[in-house]
Amino acid sequence: MMRNLLLYTLIFFATQPLLAQSPYEQAMTKALQQFSEAESIDNLQTVANAFERISQKETQEWLPLYYESLTYVIMGFDNSASISERDRYYKQAEELANKAAILETNSEITALKGYVVMGQLSVDPAGRGQSLSSVAINYFQKAIEQNPGNPRALFLMAQMEYGAAQFFGESTENACATLRKAVNQYEKEESNALMPIWGKSRAVNMLNQCK
Amino acid sequence: MKSFSLITLILSLLAGRSYSQTLISGEITDAVGVGLPGANVYLKGTYDGASSDENGSFQFETDELGTQVLVVSMVGYHEFVKEITCEEKGIHLNVVLKESINELTAVTITAGAIEASDEAKSFIMKPLDIVTTSGAAGNLFGALTKLPGTATVGNDGRLFVRGGDASETNIYIDGLEVANAYGSTAPNVPTRSRFDANLFKGSFFSTGGYSAEYGQALSSALVLNSVDMPLRNQADISLMSVGGTYSQTLIGKQNSISFNGSFMDLKPYQSIISQNYDWQRAPHSWSAELLGRQKYGESGMLKVFAHTESAQFTLNQPVVGEDYKQSIEMNNKYHFGSASFKQSLDENWFVYGGASFSLNTDDVKIDNIPYETKAILAHGKMAAVKDFSDQFSVKNGIEYYYDHFTQQNVNLSLEREYNNDFVDHFIEADYYLSSKFVLRGGLRTSYSSYLNEIWATPRASLAYKSGDKSQFSLAYGAFRQMPKPERIVQADRLENSKAQHLIFNYLLEAEGRTFRIESFYKKYSQLVKFDTLVNQTYYHLNNSGEGYSRGFDLFYRDNKSITGTDFWVTYSFVDSKRKFDQFTTQVTPGYAPRHNVSVVMKHFIKQFKSQIGFSYSWNDGYTYNDKNQSVEMGRKTKDYHNLSLSWSYLPRPNIIIHAECSNVLASENVFGYEFSTKPDESGKYARQPIIQSADRFLFLGIFITLSKDKSANMMNNL
Repeated sequence: MMRNLLLYTLIFFATQPLLAQSPYEQAMTKALQQFSEAESIDNLQTVANAFERISQKETQEWLPLYYESLTYVIMGFDNSASISERDRYYKQAEELANKAAILETNSEITALKGYVVMGQLSVDPAGRGQSLSSVAINYFQKAIEQNPGNPRALFLMAQMEYGAAQFFGESTENACATLRKAVNQYEKEESNALMPIWGKSRAVNMLNQCK
Repeated sequence: MKSFSLITLILSLLAGRSYSQTLISGEITDAVGVGLPGANVYLKGTYDGASSDENGSFQFETDELGTQVLVVSMVGYHEFVKEITCEEKGIHLNVVLKESINELTAVTITAGAIEASDEAKSFIMKPLDIVTTSGAAGNLFGALTKLPGTATVGNDGRLFVRGGDASETNIYIDGLEVANAYGSTAPNVPTRSRFDANLFKGSFFSTGGYSAEYGQALSSALVLNSVDMPLRNQADISLMSVGGTYSQTLIGKQNSISFNGSFMDLKPYQSIISQNYDWQRAPHSWSAELLGRQKYGESGMLKVFAHTESAQFTLNQPVVGEDYKQSIEMNNKYHFGSASFKQSLDENWFVYGGASFSLNTDDVKIDNIPYETKAILAHGKMAAVKDFSDQFSVKNGIEYYYDHFTQQNVNLSLEREYNNDFVDHFIEADYYLSSKFVLRGGLRTSYSSYLNEIWATPRASLAYKSGDKSQFSLAYGAFRQMPKPERIVQADRLENSKAQHLIFNYLLEAEGRTFRIESFYKKYSQLVKFDTLVNQTYYHLNNSGEGYSRGFDLFYRDNKSITGTDFWVTYSFVDSKRKFDQFTTQVTPGYAPRHNVSVVMKHFIKQFKSQIGFSYSWNDGYTYNDKNQSVEMGRKTKDYHNLSLSWSYLPRPNIIIHAECSNVLASENVFGYEFSTKPDESGKYARQPIIQSADRFLFLGIFITLSKDKSANMMNNL
């Protein structure tokens, strides 16, 4: 009896870390792992599918929708795809971000919406820049208002400001100030379960242009 | 023993999972059997699932038991749903996904259509072109005359489409017709758009074969869509060599309001730059505009638009063969108002409609004799679109028009009047056989109170995507239009003029490059004819005219080959002949040059923060009727040339300095000749050329935008 109890206890403790994560968290952790390792459009599609499977099961969670949308945004930046393919990825991303926004209002989702618009703009900067840049900037401004410490909102805003400054041949000082704020916030950011933490290395890289 | 089984149970639950697992595998293919990679296959409401591999194969295991719902989803295809029963021996499935028709990837009908919108897949024209094309000088219609299918008629300024008269084009704002969209002018003085190009986010310009939604136009429909929701509070100030404008935009959460006031006066400009015309009082005007928008419900949008203006000029025009000048004084008042709405009722129902009202009054004094004309057009419209599936949709709508026109000789208290009520119904169905092939059929049924007649005109078109980057499109349509009101008022009765269009279009587009060729055939009947026109009076007006217009146009646009440069080249060939007006034979009208070329180029120079614009138009001349010759319209003017250059400089993001010069080379263009009414002693009619009002037009403007958003500018205004 004693031995059995010991065994039972051992098994219990050995499996503790697994038990602590709900099936939802397990699935998300796995998908996020795949996300960080994805190297091709095919990989990313697999990741988007994984998030889609989670979101259809966990209909009250915004994070699977958020990440699925984000995955499509990244797929849309693929320059080798045709304009209509890229637009289709962004359309998908937009719908998912809107669904996420129904479940929750937060700075991350607002910033994501702006990111989608930024992607749409990148498909045809000459033709769409005029009308879409202010739409994207509006989203980033709103995201920063919702959470002034959201490094992603700051980083994306900095990218827009940098692009505009370059276009008008102006000083990039404003953009770089925003970028520095973003990097500061990234430094402070701690990994918090499943919450978004992406963008730091790219922001740090971009900061090199500011020196 | 009891505890052992407990442990076994726990073990099997936590680690093993080897009991009662079902292996689900299969292949996903499209309709023709090609494997689809990246499809998402899963059991509904579980975490179990997988993506298909590069061959379309998939497999995954599940612990679920019994009846489950298997879902296959993939972007661009219809979701596949099937009930399956999980059992130990495993399940193998072959799933064929049906392509969904998606507006982003499905073929669109391009015959006759030139669409400018951010969403448009193919670009012939972009919304910004309306305002950044050199030579357009902020005139909404300026850029359109540099597109395929249009002719430049420099002494008129309106849109002439494919051998048709300018009155054959109807203009709509947010789906509602605008009457007198061009400023009132005197003969041979070019007109401009009354509306600020900055109000619109896009346009749909059809040069023929258009939808059953539009009627009472023989050649063309221009549909302008106003900006839905501006994004920020801002004030715009424009200071120009010909006047100034102030606009203010205020936004709320669900609504916004923009208003602007402007005044123009060419007097200071004309006192510096010499003019070919003898202006007693240069054109001057003021206008005010208001645009309000209110969002409602989930998708509803209500727009209210009002425009009012007043314009005046006095011109002394030489009279051929006589040593005196006729004085023409124009006092124009114009009001336009509209209210429109659009909303989705649910996923498959979309409704839109509204009402508009145009009122134009011209008080003209010819040698101090006053004449007054007044035109009213009221238009109401309600339409609904129902999507029965992603392949089939039907649009259905009703319209009402009230058309009123009066002409008055004030001194003699003579008045002529024309009233017409139209009731129209239109129905149009789109059927997608696949995302590569679409058919559209429509029918417009109309009743006119003036004619007391009901008639129907059919429309049909199709488009086929022949490759990734190419497509064919074909359009046919029958169209009717009442003659110009100033003629109807002088006749006992005039019938509708009629036209039939057949258009074939081929479009090829690679990233950054578009090539388009379109050929057309237009047949006219029941055109208005008369025997003579003396002192504004028509004798024996009738509908016995007829004619045709045929030809093709080529268009190439490229913003990729030369870095920072966007250019297009277009050539239109038009063979147009008609028996109309006083002509007894079929002749080429004076507004239909045979060969037309336009080249438009824009280049952005970053170092100088400048955009340089260039445009060049050429045609082989305009036919005219030489009274000293027996052949009607037997002569042609020399070639027309116009080279325009513009320069926009952005010293700061919110300030633009814009300079533009049209007809830089000062080509002495002639648009035709006027002949004296009576022959001189030698029996010859004297003639006088119709020339440009000035050799060049110079424009200088400073545009300032004040907004919290520092990158806001008025690029749209140029």
